[in-house]
Amino acid sequence: MEPVHHDLAGGPAFEPMIQIDMEIKAFVSVWRHCDYVSTYMARMISQNRSDSVRHSNLFSSAFNELLEVVFRTRHADGELACRVSRHGATDRIELILPCVPEERRFYEEAVSQVAGIEARERYLNSVSGDLAPSREVVLLELAVDYNATLRLEEADGDAIKLVVDLPLEGLRN
Amino acid sequence: MSPYNLLPRFKAQYDANNQEFSISGVVRPQAIDELGPSIALLRDAIGRVRGVLYVNVRRLTQMNNAAFHAFSRIIIDACRARPDLKFVVITSSVVGWTSRKFGRLSGIEPNITVEEYDSEFYPGQGFLEEGGFVPILRTQTKMTWRHERAILPRHGMKPGIVMADICCGIGDFAVLVQKEFQPSRIVALDHSISSLDYARRVMREFDIRGIEYTYGDASEMLLDEAQFDLVTCRHSLQIFNRPELILKELYRICKPGGRVYITNEKNSHCLGEPRAESIRWTYNEVAKLFGHFEMDVELGPKSRRYLIEAGFEDIRVETFMVTNLDGDPQDFADVIAAWADVYAGEMASKRGDCPEFVARFRQGFQDHIFAALHPKGYAGWPIWVASGRRPQ
Ligand SMILES: C[S@@+](CC[C@H](N)C(=O)[O-])C[C@H]1O[C@@H](n2cnc3c(N)ncnc32)[C@H](O)[C@@H]1O
Repeated sequence: MEPVHHDLAGGPAFEPMIQIDMEIKAFVSVWRHCDYVSTYMARMISQNRSDSVRHSNLFSSAFNELLEVVFRTRHADGELACRVSRHGATDRIELILPCVPEERRFYEEAVSQVAGIEARERYLNSVSGDLAPSREVVLLELAVDYNATLRLEEADGDAIKLVVDLPLEGLRN
Repeated sequence: MSPYNLLPRFKAQYDANNQEFSISGVVRPQAIDELGPSIALLRDAIGRVRGVLYVNVRRLTQMNNAAFHAFSRIIIDACRARPDLKFVVITSSVVGWTSRKFGRLSGIEPNITVEEYDSEFYPGQGFLEEGGFVPILRTQTKMTWRHERAILPRHGMKPGIVMADICCGIGDFAVLVQKEFQPSRIVALDHSISSLDYARRVMREFDIRGIEYTYGDASEMLLDEAQFDLVTCRHSLQIFNRPELILKELYRICKPGGRVYITNEKNSHCLGEPRAESIRWTYNEVAKLFGHFEMDVELGPKSRRYLIEAGFEDIRVETFMVTNLDGDPQDFADVIAAWADVYAGEMASKRGDCPEFVARFRQGFQDHIFAALHPKGYAGWPIWVASGRRPQ
């Protein structure tokens, strides 16, 4: 695992914790992969949190939603990389996934919605609405319930890189 | 456990007597039709109830947004169709995301309320959690440790094991075990945030590693099954009104072939000389006082039965007596003084005891202290240790 540094914006360096790579085709062949990967990684990275069991439960909860979104993404061939790194109370999930161009636009729009001021309201409307939660709503929920921040970064070729910061250590009930 | 296990990992139930629909476990369906039977059960429950439907999600450890939306929809629709109906969603403070996520529902429909279920089930919590009790807990553990360090290896304690200490309190026992036996990992769980804060502070200050403190409810833990070689639960079964529920959980998290180790008291057997009569009278009353608050501090000798009934085998029981002769008699006296404060103080007054009773009650503790500090005296506090093996 090579070290990752994110000081593009002069931000702090995150320490790498764990990385899982797999063929995206293999990943989307079984729904339970979302649950399995999120639970496994949550357990691994939560060991040295002040409350490992709670942290692992929350992390798995948030990460599973992300993986479910990825699962539903129309992808191009290639590798899915899931990486978790840490700086202080924040855990950073990076997902690098190959995807078709329309999907890149979906992610760009979703990320800007999440950052928008009406994120909370949009999410609440969706809870009372009739439709099953869209992928965008799932991403909104991460911001609303877990104080997550989301952004997209450049990646090679057809891939996009979704970066999600989760400050779970500081999250109270 | 196979990751591709197709068995559903959640359970939905409806209890008509209590008008309570409950769903527990991990609910992460790909498509909503996987939830068919549970959704039908909820619809059916809504059709039957009058007044209030309780929706219990205390043991729900995971639920994805798709499932959350499916269940919420039904509840929200029911509120609109039947304004006479109220919903009370019961979450647990232990599962961090549930209160937040389900809490939203009350903002959408005023007939939905969300309650975080908590400390009520442990009637004595308030009495013992006050900060003043911490030094006494430390002294108690110091006194019992002198005995238990020799006893523990007979009950499965050895270096390198993975262990859990459930109801760990301020964590002293975990720290002592870590130093003496070097297990490879200790998970220590309690439901008192202030005790855990204290335990974590100690761990930081003394740079102790290998202990993971976690906030949880011993009667429904987030810990996975079958992961510990040894599960300890000290002086705690006796404070729950339904100890068998806790034992069931201890059994669940213990590996097959691993052991569960419990310690409990039989308070009426505390003793001392001189002034034996007064001491005996008071400790008999202690047992009754705890009984009034649904705690059984006479549980010690019942440990064997509880372990058998919980399904354990190879049960081992032994007792030891903490006395004024182990270490400093003043330690013993301090512990008794602290008991007197709480038992003859807050607890007696909460039960509504009259001043005459309280005076006599207090006297027995004074006499126990007298015996402990007397140059020819003897004072004792007996503890029952029991352990059982989870069958392979
Ligand atoms: C009598 S103390 C024993 C503490 C420790 N084992 C010792 O020996 O000093 C009981 C402990 O059980 C904890 N407790 C009470 N209810 C609990 C629950 N539902 N789940 C977990 N711990 C609980 C209390 O916070 C307290 O620390």
